[in-house]
Amino acid sequence: MPAILTVDDSRAVRTIVGKQVRELGFDVLEAEDGIQGLQVLSESSVDLVLLDVTMPNMDGPTMLQKMREGGNKTPVIMLTSESKRTIVAGAMKQGINDYILKPFKPEELRAKVLSVLQGEPGADSIGSDAAPAPTAAETAATVAPSSGPATTPAGGRFCDVLVVDDMENVHKKLRSMLPPHVSLNAYTSAAQALAACREKVFKVVLIDTEIPDVNSTVLAQQVRVLQPHAAILALSLRTANDAAGEVKDQGFDSVLFKPFRPETIDDFMQAYFDNQDFLQVEDNVLKMAPFTGKADRVDRFFRQLHAVYREALEKVAAACYDEVVLDLGSPPGEADKLAKFVIEVAERSKEFGMTLSLVGPEPARKAMAGFTETKELRFFPSVQEARAGG
Amino acid sequence: MSVEKLASELEVVLTKRIQSDQLVLPTMPAVALQVQAILKDPDAGMKEVATALEKDPVLSARALRMATSAAFAAGGKKATLQEALARLGTKTIKGLLVEAAAQKLFVSKNPQINEQLKVLWEHSVAVGVMARDVLALTGAPESEGAYLAGLLHDVGKPVVATMLLELERQLTEVYQRNWIDSGEWLEVIAKVHRPVGVALAERWQLPPSIVACIKESQEYDKAERNSFANAVCFSNALAKKSGVYAGHVDAEDNDAIIMIGRSVIGISDDILRTLTKGLRERVSGLYD
Repeated sequence: MPAILTVDDSRAVRTIVGKQVRELGFDVLEAEDGIQGLQVLSESSVDLVLLDVTMPNMDGPTMLQKMREGGNKTPVIMLTSESKRTIVAGAMKQGINDYILKPFKPEELRAKVLSVLQGEPGADSIGSDAAPAPTAAETAATVAPSSGPATTPAGGRFCDVLVVDDMENVHKKLRSMLPPHVSLNAYTSAAQALAACREKVFKVVLIDTEIPDVNSTVLAQQVRVLQPHAAILALSLRTANDAAGEVKDQGFDSVLFKPFRPETIDDFMQAYFDNQDFLQVEDNVLKMAPFTGKADRVDRFFRQLHAVYREALEKVAAACYDEVVLDLGSPPGEADKLAKFVIEVAERSKEFGMTLSLVGPEPARKAMAGFTETKELRFFPSVQEARAGG
Repeated sequence: MSVEKLASELEVVLTKRIQSDQLVLPTMPAVALQVQAILKDPDAGMKEVATALEKDPVLSARALRMATSAAFAAGGKKATLQEALARLGTKTIKGLLVEAAAQKLFVSKNPQINEQLKVLWEHSVAVGVMARDVLALTGAPESEGAYLAGLLHDVGKPVVATMLLELERQLTEVYQRNWIDSGEWLEVIAKVHRPVGVALAERWQLPPSIVACIKESQEYDKAERNSFANAVCFSNALAKKSGVYAGHVDAEDNDAIIMIGRSVIGISDDILRTLTKGLRERVSGLYD
């Protein structure tokens, strides 16, 4: 187990630091000054030193100097209330790995201890374009406690949509028009929105372009730093000009026009949420998303279903079910397209050694009864009855 | 004359002139001053502001361009100046006036120093952008004003540059002496610009939080961790580290300022890497 030496003349600081470090699973050694610190280093194996600057008998910089002169290269984090750059610059010459100003937040201590022990580059790579910038995936993978002090959203809760608009009616209207399964957080100010972005992960962020005293371009850039994976859209009034092109020049991914219309919300859903919700799997039930789009979207709706059902069936088969239930929900009216899809699912289920049952409303049952390949399939009005019947 | 000696003599002259109120400082453009006064009047509306601003076509165009950009109203809707100003809001108009006035200082008819001023302005913009974003992303209650604070932190430099230019002309004409090279020229400016910047900021009646940024850019205030001054100090070092700076940089000193600032302000390295990536590209070409 790695051991961390905390050198500080304040018993209170040593106690707090010791508690935090033990919670990370490390052993803790303590010293009251530089002399004791050097003694501990000579007697024990230490992986990291947390070093105060001002101490009686021997201060931190002197202990650090003696460590390095003696060939001891143990990583050091300076933990101090000293913020004079000349002192820190001197310590950096002696090879400190990081710096924490007292009073400090526990998450900062944890993050920096883990970062140093994991050999991460720390401040060295900042400001240099030559340094490898984190990829989007790396940024997302930065989970607490290795992330910085309360600034990265990863590890937080997930939410589908964040809307930033100073008019609360916009929040209400959007909520009423989005399907209930799409989660939404709404804020009236930039500060609230940025705070949410530090805590949660969003799939889509909508930013009004006319919030008083807020430059929406700047806000979009700031949100993008905290939410590198989110699509960021401008909320704007319809105009005759090329708003979509303009907002892209300003760093937005696209635009969603106000006032909202069913067809624009439909486009929005198709662009950002279609893939994840077309076919949900719960135990042995495959639940089709309700079809709420325009008539000309039917083909696309079924193409998406055809693209995802195999993987869903594999999940059910892998869980060793003998029977799979396909909940048709509220399918589009085109019976032939629905039947074609159901036939494919039935055939594939058979290959996995599973039988297929259907669940759906009465019109869907009638439609399936009209096709030779589907009329023999068992059809139930609810999932509960299908499970009981199976 | 050595850089040290020139800087030291210049500092003495400047200090004396500032103390006796004899330092000739650029004034805020008259229209900007008038608009600022109107904005302070609770009875005045945007109509009065627009009427005053119309007298300066460049400032009017800037306000219109900003208000019709996607940042404030996507779609580039046509708007009257009054509508544009209403859309921007009082705070943004005030910032726009100071920014426009400051940018004028960073332009010289002399091509020799104009190029240097261009880099200085880009550095100032970089510091403004970084200071604003650093505070916003760490949840500081007020971040927008940090942009102006960063933008103005070196505002004394172009004033000193103009003085040096005049001095150079006199010396080379009278004594036929060779003048210092551009690197040394920047070094002299860096050593003496702060009191001039402070005097200018006070003359322009800028808020104390901005004056503090001009006064100090090398040490942090531990008592107010998310102050503009701390954000500007940190961002100044980040911009230098990113290569957006004209002049000598003490790399060890600068790295120490960054290392301390990360903890003072409480920002993660991941966010800092994202913010500083491509900083030079973002601010280049903003000089028009």
